[in-house]
Amino acid sequence: MSDDIFQAALERLSRVPGVRGALIVDTDAGVPVASELAADVDGGALAALAASLFKRTDRAIGAAAFGKLATLQLEAEEGHVIAGDAGDLIIVAIAERQAQLGLVRLEVHRAAQALR
Amino acid sequence: MRQADLELLMEALKDPMRNFVRESRVRICLLVNGAGQVLSQHGFTRSYEVMNVASLAASAHASARALGEITGSGAWRHMHHAGKERQLFLAPFKTPVQELILVAIFDEDSSLGLVQLFFDRLAGEVVALPQFMTARASKDAASFEKDLESGLETIFSNEPGQGT
Repeated sequence: MSDDIFQAALERLSRVPGVRGALIVDTDAGVPVASELAADVDGGALAALAASLFKRTDRAIGAAAFGKLATLQLEAEEGHVIAGDAGDLIIVAIAERQAQLGLVRLEVHRAAQALR
Repeated sequence: MRQADLELLMEALKDPMRNFVRESRVRICLLVNGAGQVLSQHGFTRSYEVMNVASLAASAHASARALGEITGSGAWRHMHHAGKERQLFLAPFKTPVQELILVAIFDEDSSLGLVQLFFDRLAGEVVALPQFMTARASKDAASFEKDLESGLETIFSNEPGQGT
C-alpha cells in the first residue's frame, strides 16, 4: 500500500471540522504507520495505547459473540478518540468535544474502507 | 559494582520494573548492565536461563554498538525480533553510573509500541533513582566475574521464582 493512500486518508479525515489529528496504526505492532498530528500529541504513545485498547475490546466483543469490532469511540472531558478497523491497520481520529461526531465516524469508516 | 551498592540498586529497581511489567504486559524481562550483571528480572525461574540471556544481551549490545560505530549510524536505540508466538525487545539506556540494557519478551498480549512506550518511562524512572548517585561501577576486569555472580545470587536468594 502506497504512502499516497495513507496521506489521502489522513488529509480527508483531518479536514473534518473539529478533528485535531489522525493517524494510521499497525494493529499488531502498535506503532504509527502514518500520522497527521499536532506537535503536542505523542503519536507513538497514542498508537500503542489505541491499538492495545482496540485489540482488547475486539476480544471482548468476540467473547460476547458480537462478531468483529468495527469502530471504537472514547469520550473524554475535552474530546473524543475514534478508532476504526482497517484490516491489519487501525485508523484513529482525535476530535474536539464540539466536533460533529457523525461526520467524524463516517470519515473514519470511509478511510478504513479505503485502507482495506 | 560493589555488593552493597548492588543490593540497594536492586531494591530500588523493584518498583519501576514491576510497573513496567504490569503496564507493558511483557511475559519476561531482564535488566542487566554492559558487563552482563543482572540487576532485576521478572518471569525467569532458572538462574542459568538468566545468566545465558544476560550475557547474550550484553554481547548483542556490544556488537550492535560496534556495528553502529563502524557504519557511522551512531548509537542504536532498540532491537526487535518478531517471532511467530513471542517477540524480543532489547534496548539500552544510560544512567549516571553505567549503561543498562533491558531485555523483554512478550506475546500477543502486548505489542512493540506498548513495550517502547513503557520502556521510555522505565528508563526515565530508573535514571532518576537516587541510588545511582552513590553507586559506583566496577572499574577493573577482575571484578567482572564476581559482579556477575553476586547479581545472580542476590536475585535468586531474595526471590526464588518470579523476580523484580
